[in-house]
Amino acid sequence: MVTKIPSGECMDATLRTRFLELDLATPLVLPAGVLGTSFSSLLACARCGAGLVTTKSATLTERTGHPGPVVVETPAGLLNAVGISNPGIAEVLREVAVYRRHTAVPVAVSVFADSPADFAELARRVSDSPADLLELNLSCPNVSGEFGAPLAGSPDTVAAIVAAVKHAARLPLIAKLSPNVTDIAAVGRAAEQAGADALCAINTLGPGMVIDTELGLPVLSNGSGGLSGAAIRPVAVRAVHQLAQSVGIPIIGVGGVCNAVDAAEMLIAGARLVGVGTALWSGGIELFGDIGRNLLAYLNRRCYPDPAAVPRLEPSHA
Amino acid sequence: MPERITLPIADIAEESPDVRTLSFTHPLAAEPGQFVMISDLKGDEKPFSLSDCGGGSFSITLRRVGPFTRRLFDARRGDLFSIRGAYGSSFFVHSGRVLLVGGGCAVPPLFFLCRRLLAAGAEPTVVNGARSADALLFERRFQALPLHQLTALEDAPEPLTAVDAALRLLQNNRFDALYAAGPEMMLASLISNCGALDYQLLIERYMKCGIGICGSCTLDPLGIRACVEGPVLPRATVEQLTEFGVYRRNSSGARVPVNARRSCEQ
Ligand SMILES: Cc1cc2nc3c(=O)[nH]c(=O)nc-3n(C[C@H](O)[C@H](O)[C@H](O)COP(=O)(O)OP(=O)(O)OC[C@H]3O[C@@H](n4cnc5c(N)ncnc54)[C@H](O)[C@@H]3O)c2cc1C
Ligand SMILES: Cc1cc2nc3c(=O)[nH]c(=O)nc-3n(C[C@H](O)[C@H](O)[C@H](O)COP(=O)(O)O)c2cc1C
Ligand code: FES
Repeated sequence: MVTKIPSGECMDATLRTRFLELDLATPLVLPAGVLGTSFSSLLACARCGAGLVTTKSATLTERTGHPGPVVVETPAGLLNAVGISNPGIAEVLREVAVYRRHTAVPVAVSVFADSPADFAELARRVSDSPADLLELNLSCPNVSGEFGAPLAGSPDTVAAIVAAVKHAARLPLIAKLSPNVTDIAAVGRAAEQAGADALCAINTLGPGMVIDTELGLPVLSNGSGGLSGAAIRPVAVRAVHQLAQSVGIPIIGVGGVCNAVDAAEMLIAGARLVGVGTALWSGGIELFGDIGRNLLAYLNRRCYPDPAAVPRLEPSHA
Repeated sequence: MPERITLPIADIAEESPDVRTLSFTHPLAAEPGQFVMISDLKGDEKPFSLSDCGGGSFSITLRRVGPFTRRLFDARRGDLFSIRGAYGSSFFVHSGRVLLVGGGCAVPPLFFLCRRLLAAGAEPTVVNGARSADALLFERRFQALPLHQLTALEDAPEPLTAVDAALRLLQNNRFDALYAAGPEMMLASLISNCGALDYQLLIERYMKCGIGICGSCTLDPLGIRACVEGPVLPRATVEQLTEFGVYRRNSSGARVPVNARRSCEQ
């Protein structure tokens, strides 16, 4: 806690942030899969102060996802295995088009597939839509029963997908990475070299499992699920710090951010933008406004003119 | 924060050929209109309104409509279920003359509401709507309370829908508030005919997480969540909803017309 307010307090900081040619009103991002299923839910987050909103990950065809329970609340965070339920890319892009009619706040469409060819097809479809950015979900831990290990597990797989998509997409490309790897920096470098324009880290941690001791069964119907929320923030912060030293492209730092101090921590770790997901569970979408206001106060107090001016942690700390 | 708890069924009551009430012994903190998520951890978890709660126990009342409700319907006393909640918004409890209109298996949560209304000194009139005498729910339970109950049966010799019964009452009486729960088309028809009366509706949307994080149950164009800001919504909110009575989203998130999507309401 900083208790002493420096005397040289500034007044003119702004939250405006440049990101891949876009001018964002705030560095706060709604990450994929948290709300974001409908135009109205994306819109509500944008109106509350998210500078960029991301759709729930879309596949080529409709998916109902896993049966319930798809979430379990634990004292140390939320475990989820929603299973990428979505109405299919055509329907998702219709929602994005409606969203676009209501606001100019940029929107990223997150997509998921199990092959470079399908990722490329999704990229073509999104490029023909009013979306601003394309995010590749290479890191879902909850569909390995169907699709095998998360794609972001291997630098080579990531490079192959990013290269295929880069060829097909006319939109800037964000690769969303998994923390569940031995060397996230190697995966990040592979994505950058294959043409990714930005990285998003991290997806959920684990996977983990919760067992009901009366029924003797896992609580999630999928058995296991990804952990999110405050518990994973230290892991996310380190992943972002490691990536920031290894790549030149901007990073969206996601994982356990609950307040402006956490957001500032992500910026110092090396994030350009900061995602707020699971914290919306208890904080509501008004959290975007609260975090924005308090982050602005932080910038003013420290005399940083904007979020990008927050000094990054030196490389020696990984 | 509401917790997940695993409880045995303490009691089962037969309400109609395809409706049963399951009771659990646990001091759940809940208000009328709120719901719980129930699972047997064998591959499904679904939302159910509380049909009663208090004195160290609570109950849900369910209609057998598909795979999961069939398993609940066939469950025996002592069978264990994982239950989390209570979740969502609840009815604001008025103390004046109030009208409650229920249809099908959305009637039972109004029973829990009546208990609270009576405790607050309100004078409730209940329109209990059903397809047939067979399907009528909670008639005797309402009779045991000091309130006025009117049953509306669609296939009686003199057919009467819950909406028509309610509108007649509204024409000839002064009420301070209206509470309604039931099939969405019934609710839509009711509110388009109820004048300036203040109302609250219990609405249903496809729920997965129940805690406001997955986005499955969001309502257009406000982007509010039926599981957090709902399932009980006040008039001022309902009036802004463009999807109410028109469409809802299914388990994948695709839009489907409301009348083609019936849950406990058939
Ligand atoms: C807030 C709320 C309160 C409810 N209260 C009651 C109640 O008190 N009693 C009762 O009998 N039923 C209630 N329902 C409906 C109940 O959840 C469904 O009947 C049940 O989920 C059906 O599951 P199934 O596997 O038997 O049938 P399925 O064949 O899976 O579904 C039958 C129909 O039920 C609805 N449904 C299925 N899954 C869900 C879901 N996850 N969320 C919402 N609707 C779903 C759909 O409209 C579907 O068409 C409530 C629903 C909501 C949202
Ligand atoms: C319920 C839920 C669903 C999610 N769905 C997706 C998804 O579809 N695609 C994706 O890339 N990430 C998904 N995530 C991961 C989040 O975008 C985010 O990376 C992760 O939760 C960590 O951030 P947080 O702690 O702020 O939630 C999901 C997370 C949750 C909690
Ligand atoms: S059910 Fe997940 S947000 Fe309402």
